[in-house]
Amino acid sequence: MIDEQVEVLANDEVAEEFYMARLQAPYIAARAKPGQFVNIQVSTGGAPLLRIPLSVCAIDLDAGWIEVLYENLGPKSEVLSRIGRGVSMACLGPLGNGFAPPPAGARTCLVGGGIGVPPMLYWGSVLQRQNYPVTLLVGARNKGKHLPDELLAPAASVVRRASDDGSLGQAGLVTDLLQEELAGDAPHAVYCCGPHGMMRAVAALCRESAVPCQVSLEEYMACGIGICVGCAVELQPDEQGAAGSDYTRYGRICVDGPVFDARRVKWED
Amino acid sequence: MADLKVDFAGVPLQNPVLLASGTCNYGQELLPLTDFSRLGGLVTKTITPEPRGGNPPQRIIETAGGMLNAIGLQNPGLEDFVGEKWAFLAGLQTQVVVNIAGFSVDEFALTAARLEELPGIAALEVNISCPNVEAGGDNFATRPETAAAVIAAVKRNSRRPIIAKLTPNVTDITEIARAVVDAGADAVSLINTLVGMAIDVNSQRPILGNITGGLSGPAVKPVALAMVWKVAQAVSVPIMGIGGIATARDALEFIIAGASAVQVGTANFVNPNAGVEVVDGIQAHCDEHGIDQLASLVGSLQT
Ligand SMILES: Cc1cc2nc3c(=O)[nH]c(=O)nc-3n(C[C@H](O)[C@H](O)[C@H](O)COP(=O)(O)OP(=O)(O)OC[C@H]3O[C@@H](n4cnc5c(N)ncnc54)[C@H](O)[C@@H]3O)c2cc1C
Ligand SMILES: Cc1cc2nc3c(=O)[nH]c(=O)nc-3n(C[C@H](O)[C@H](O)[C@H](O)COP(=O)(O)O)c2cc1C
Ligand code: FES
Repeated sequence: MIDEQVEVLANDEVAEEFYMARLQAPYIAARAKPGQFVNIQVSTGGAPLLRIPLSVCAIDLDAGWIEVLYENLGPKSEVLSRIGRGVSMACLGPLGNGFAPPPAGARTCLVGGGIGVPPMLYWGSVLQRQNYPVTLLVGARNKGKHLPDELLAPAASVVRRASDDGSLGQAGLVTDLLQEELAGDAPHAVYCCGPHGMMRAVAALCRESAVPCQVSLEEYMACGIGICVGCAVELQPDEQGAAGSDYTRYGRICVDGPVFDARRVKWED
Repeated sequence: MADLKVDFAGVPLQNPVLLASGTCNYGQELLPLTDFSRLGGLVTKTITPEPRGGNPPQRIIETAGGMLNAIGLQNPGLEDFVGEKWAFLAGLQTQVVVNIAGFSVDEFALTAARLEELPGIAALEVNISCPNVEAGGDNFATRPETAAAVIAAVKRNSRRPIIAKLTPNVTDITEIARAVVDAGADAVSLINTLVGMAIDVNSQRPILGNITGGLSGPAVKPVALAMVWKVAQAVSVPIMGIGGIATARDALEFIIAGASAVQVGTANFVNPNAGVEVVDGIQAHCDEHGIDQLASLVGSLQT
C-alpha cells in the first residue's frame, strides 16, 4: 500500500449522478484485489478535508489504470465529479482485505445495491475469467440510477435487475431476486455490497438457506488505514478474538474488512 | 542547517514534531507510509487499565474545516499494551510518549506504575479528559482539584516526565494549567478536542452514535493557538501545542506562541506523511530565515 499520486484519465457520468473515473495508478493497478478500495484526496485546500473511500471497480494491469465508480451524494463525491482529465490527486491504496475466493466450480451470485455495485463489477469479471458461473443481481431506485448494460456485462453471464419503482427490471427489491435464486438452483456462494439494510436482509436469506455469504461493509471513514479507529462494525460475540476482550467487540472496517463473512457481523440495529 | 533539537522536559527530541494521540494508533499501520526516524516522536492512543470497546458507530463525521470523532477510547488495555504493542513501539527510531487515562485516580496511578516496567518510554502524557466515575462522572480535566489529584498520583508512581494533556472545554484553561503544574506536571499539552455535535435534519437524530463528539482539524487551530499563548504566560513548564496543525506554518505559529514542541493529529488522516512534511517545512523556514536554533523561536511572539 502506498499513497500514489494518480492522474485522472477520464471522469464521466455513466448513469444519473453516477460517475466513472479512470485513474493512472500503476502501483495500485498491479496490486488491487477485488473488494479492496482506495482513499482519494479530492481537495488539497481542506474543503472537503477528509478523503473519499471508493472501491476499485476495474483495473487494466497493462495500461496501469484503475477505475472507480461513484455516486454524487455529498461534498466529497461532488468535488470529485468536477475534477477533469489531467488533474493529479493523492490516492492511498490498495486498502482492506478483498473477497475470499469461492470453492472450485462454485456457482456464484453477486448482489449489489446502489453504490455497492462497483466492487461487484471487479469481482464478477475476475470470477468469470476463472470460469466461475456468475449471476449478478442489481438493485437501484429507478431506471436512471441503473448502470448501463455494457458496464455490467463483463461481470456476469446472467444479469438481473430490480427497481423500487419497476421502471427497469423487476419491480421490488434486489432481495426478491435473491430469494428466487436461492429457491431454484441455489448458488454456492453469495457476495454482497449495498445499503446496510439490504446487506442485513441478504445475510439473513443466505443464513436460512445455509449458503456462505460475504458482505463488503461501509462506514464513515477518516483514514482508511486503521489509525483513527472510526470505521467500527460490531462483531458477533463468538468472534471476539481469543481472549474475548471488550477491545475486539468492534472491528475496523478499513483494515479488518471491508469484506466480512456475513455470520461474523452483528446485524441487529 | 538550523538546529531543530528540543529538550522537552528532559526528553531529547531531534525535532519538535510528534504525532498526536489517537491519530497514529500504536504506530504499526503508518510504518509503510511514513518514516518515524524523521519525527520527534509519537504519542500512543490512550491506554486504559482495562480493554475498552469504544462507542457505537457512527463515530466520525466531517464538519466545516474539521471533523467530529466519538471513538470512546477503544483500546486493548494496559496488559495487552505491555505484552504486545510495546514490542513494536520500542523498536521505532523515535521517542515514544505513552498516553494514559483512567476512570478513577487509582486507575491513573496503577497504569503509571505498571508502565515503569518499560524502560524505553520517553514520557507519559496524561489524558485527564475522562469521566471520574467515583465522582458521578464529572470530567477530571474540568476542575483544578481533580486535575491536580490525577497528576499528583501519576507523579508519585512514575519517574518519567509527566505531560498533562489539557481540555479546551473549560472556562479558564490557565487555571487548570497552573493546578497541574503545582501538582508536579513536568509539561502540559493542549488542546484536546472541543465538544461538538452534528444533526441529521431528515431523521432528526444525532449523526454520532455517542450524540456528541470532539472537534479537531484546521477549524480548531485559532482556538488552540490562543490557549497555548495564554498558558505560556501562566506557567513556566514546556508546552506541547496541538490543534489543527497540518503544515510547517501552522506548527511555527504554535512555537512562536510559546510551544516548545507540537503534535500533528487529524492531518495524519488526510496525509499519512504529514508529520515528516511539517518537519521538512520547519527546517526550510529556519534555513531561509537564518534561524540557527529553532529553540530561539519558542515564545518569540511580539505583542
Ligand atoms: C470501503 C468503502 C468503499 C466505498 N466504495 C464506494 C464506491 O465504489 N462508490 C461509491 O459511490 N461510494 C462508495 N463508498 C461510499 C462513499 O465513500 C461515500 O458515499 C462518500 O464518502 C460520500 O461522501 P460525500 O462527501 O460525497 O457525501 P456525504 O455528505 O459524506 O454523504 C452523503 C450521503 O451518503 C451517506 N454516506 C456517507 N458516507 C457513506 C458511506 N461510507 N457509506 C454509505 N453511505 C454513506 C451519508 O449518510 C449521506 O446521506 C464506499 C465507502 C467505503 C467505506
Ligand atoms: C479520531 C481521534 C481520536 C483521538 N483519540 C485521542 C486519544 O485517544 N487520546 C487523546 O489524548 N487524544 C485523542 N485525540 C485528540 C488529539 O490527540 C488532538 O488533541 C486533537 O485531535 C487536536 O489536534 P488535531 O486538530 O491536530 O487533530 C483524538 C483525536 C481524533 C481526531
Ligand atoms: S477509517 Fe480510520 S480506522 Fe478505519
